[in-house]
Amino acid sequence: MTANSLSRTLERPGVFKYLLIAPAVFVILLIGLYPLIKLAVTSFQDISMFGADYSFNGAKHYVRLFGDSRLWESLLHTVLFTAVALPIELVLGYLLALLFLERLPGKSFFVAIILLPTIISPIVAGSTWRLMIDQRFGPVNQILSWIAGREVELLWNIQTYLVWPAIMIAEVWQWTPFMFLMLYAALSNVDKEQLEAAQIDGASWWMTFRRIVLPAIMPVMVIAMLIRALDLFRIFDIIWTMTQGGPGTMTETISIYAYNIAFREFETSYSAAIAFLVIFILTLVVVWLLRRVEVER
Amino acid sequence: MANLKLHNINKYYGAYHAVRDVSFDIPAGEFVVLVGASGCGKSTLLRAIAGLEEISGGDMTLRGTSITRLAPRDRNVAMVFQSYALYPYLSVRENIAFGLRARKTPDAEINTQVAWAAEVLDISDYLDRYPRELSGGQRQRVAIGRAIVRDADLYLFDEPLSNLDAKLRDGMREEIKKLHEKLGKTFIYVTHDQIEAMTLAQRIILLKDGQIEQVGPPLDLFERPRNAYVAAFLGSPPMNFIEVNVSAGSVILPDGQALPGCAMPDGIYTWGIRPEHFTADEQGPLLAKLDVIQPTGARSYGTFYIAGNHMMAELDAHAANHGQTHLSVAMDRTLFFDPATGEAIP
Amino acid sequence: MIRWDRGWRLYLRVALALGITLVFVFPVYWLAMISVKSPDEIYAYPPVWFPSEFRFSSYVTLFRDGDAWAVWNSLITAGVSTVLAMAIGTTAAYSIVRFRTGGENLAIWIISQRMIPPICVAFPIFLLFVSWQWIDTRFGLILLYTAFNVPYVTWMMRGYIQDIPLELEHSALVDGLSRWAVLRKVVLPMARAGLFATAVFTFIFAWNDFLFALVLTKSEAVTYTVKVTGYFGSQSTFWSKIGAMSMLGVLPMMFVVATMQRFIVRGMSLGAVKG
Repeated sequence: MTANSLSRTLERPGVFKYLLIAPAVFVILLIGLYPLIKLAVTSFQDISMFGADYSFNGAKHYVRLFGDSRLWESLLHTVLFTAVALPIELVLGYLLALLFLERLPGKSFFVAIILLPTIISPIVAGSTWRLMIDQRFGPVNQILSWIAGREVELLWNIQTYLVWPAIMIAEVWQWTPFMFLMLYAALSNVDKEQLEAAQIDGASWWMTFRRIVLPAIMPVMVIAMLIRALDLFRIFDIIWTMTQGGPGTMTETISIYAYNIAFREFETSYSAAIAFLVIFILTLVVVWLLRRVEVER
Repeated sequence: MANLKLHNINKYYGAYHAVRDVSFDIPAGEFVVLVGASGCGKSTLLRAIAGLEEISGGDMTLRGTSITRLAPRDRNVAMVFQSYALYPYLSVRENIAFGLRARKTPDAEINTQVAWAAEVLDISDYLDRYPRELSGGQRQRVAIGRAIVRDADLYLFDEPLSNLDAKLRDGMREEIKKLHEKLGKTFIYVTHDQIEAMTLAQRIILLKDGQIEQVGPPLDLFERPRNAYVAAFLGSPPMNFIEVNVSAGSVILPDGQALPGCAMPDGIYTWGIRPEHFTADEQGPLLAKLDVIQPTGARSYGTFYIAGNHMMAELDAHAANHGQTHLSVAMDRTLFFDPATGEAIP
Repeated sequence: MIRWDRGWRLYLRVALALGITLVFVFPVYWLAMISVKSPDEIYAYPPVWFPSEFRFSSYVTLFRDGDAWAVWNSLITAGVSTVLAMAIGTTAAYSIVRFRTGGENLAIWIISQRMIPPICVAFPIFLLFVSWQWIDTRFGLILLYTAFNVPYVTWMMRGYIQDIPLELEHSALVDGLSRWAVLRKVVLPMARAGLFATAVFTFIFAWNDFLFALVLTKSEAVTYTVKVTGYFGSQSTFWSKIGAMSMLGVLPMMFVVATMQRFIVRGMSLGAVKG
């Protein structure tokens, strides 16, 4: 076969298209499929720090999941955190978007600065806020002292009722700009003529929002919330730097817990079972959400 | 010479039969127009000739060798696209030179060729601009320039004028015709516009539902259409059709009026009269009540109804008036079709 | 409507925008200041808002002690993996768009790979790296980042390539280019903006990664995010180093937001919003 005819064979659409996609499929199988198979196998074996038993031992690790209160607590933390942080980010992001939607000198400069938190590493965001909330040399307590008019010395990452709010503040600080940007883009695309028509028809603010604005921004809003919800569900970095899941297991999320089981307690097989549980839950939620979205359409 | 032969070309999109058993020959140097309503398969056919569309059956030969299985670049054809397909990141000069560079033409030759094409198309002043800086008509010229710099066997045009406004279209039509005369190359031109087909073609291939309806020089098709579809497709405003009864040399209209001077044997026909076959004439045998008059300047179009059939007559501007008007019909130029099959009856 | 834009409403809006912007930028400002404060100022009570002088000694320390090596690691792993992921993902996207490879489902499957939480696959990957002796190598990290970013690149480039008119490619094919040449000379130049934007995001994802770097590196190949967390000791926390190292990680990102604004929306929304 000459080089020329070889190149022409490779170029046939039926060959060419697989040639192009093969590397991608290969790497995705490597990080997508291989780990899943490995997890599945491991979760039925008995491997831990104390020894490795490679024979199949049935579903005992899955049974153990049900009695593991620390697991369910961490799952509850994750879900609650997501359920609280997401609406806050959404509402704040929306209000911010409304503010920037109108004429504003230096708009793009403001937007660039507001976006910074979202772009930087969550590790840096977490470190920064750990610095901010330090009870003595952090500025947060100082500012609160000025407002309160007396000395405030809140132990943000020790006091049980403050540690979640502290993480929440960091998280909301980092990701509200994301929501803002998405909603700002969506709101800019709302049909101005529809809004004007509604104004002429004498529609109330609420009706305009319900009937025109909301349907128009809905698709983007749903996607933005989906992206954020999936990120929040696997939140790790910010908590790792701010509290490492502490005090005790107070701020342990499912990712932190899974990390601890796998890499600190080396309960390999059990950690595999946990990973499967997480993937299972996520798949259920995502499939359910996509169905909902499809129904809406 | 570059002689293109298509033999029983078929194309399916899934179950949809887009091109059905199409065969024709195009001798070298001819200007052929593939025309038909949208969805008739004309563009598919053109793209199949270019090699952009794989055909499901049949064979194509160019210069006597089969090109059916060849990649587009091995067919030596040049093509002008409907959207012009100019590369926005290349200057006009580089756009025109693109095909030559792809074929590793020496720089010196590229320069002369590009300069020549720019000269022919009168775009020499824009060579260093970018497509976004050009008007629609100028972009169209660049697109044509990119095709003609290449020494191709076939030049394919896929509705090249449909994105231009009416005035520019008339001008470009003329230039394309001139270009063909100057180059003497084989042009295959696809359009849905019957005026473009009539004015440009040496030969028209009229397609309907993926099949050839009729092939021939434009005036042949216009004056001797094979069937009512072809007759209706060519001509603007379109031919009027009405069911009539021919009896003893007279055409009996459904409303009872009789028009003498018909040479057809007795029977029932679909009668085809082009608007220009009518003349306003005090002595005319046809009495029509003109409803709407559309003046276009020299001529006016008058609408009337015969037993509910919508008819249009092209009349002298001042002769077209509302109300009862006597019309005469150029009987020998009108056409008769079989009412069942639509086939023309000679 | 009455035009009040010139009046107090405009000033109110500007004031509000300014205030909000300050809230968002203040923590970064604080971090930056920590990195240039003297140790006394860092631990001063009440906190010092503006250092008496800018001292870059903490940066000097990072470079002298070799800690800045971690930033170099981040740069290499993120940079090389971005190039690889872009190449692999873009060709895959082209295949999906132009030849409908795998139909609609393949694209969905590929993007769904992004939904799996890293922690779930971290351990099997750790085992794989151990057995292939890739632990603590930049090579291993590059491969992993590449693999993790391919779905994103494929998904994003699919959108950008869909925006390219098909006739441009057809014209090039007729003009005599091979399919490879069409990809190189038509598709890539046409998708230039998209390529750039996607590459920047791919870089950011790798640059910001923490979990994989934490699990898969020890000393040689640690990235800056791991290094930052390393300064949080159980006894003492090296705030000046945290500040300086974090700033080294943030500076490239500042450059990104300054130059990339018009691409950010599409990149972040996974293509749902076309900016």
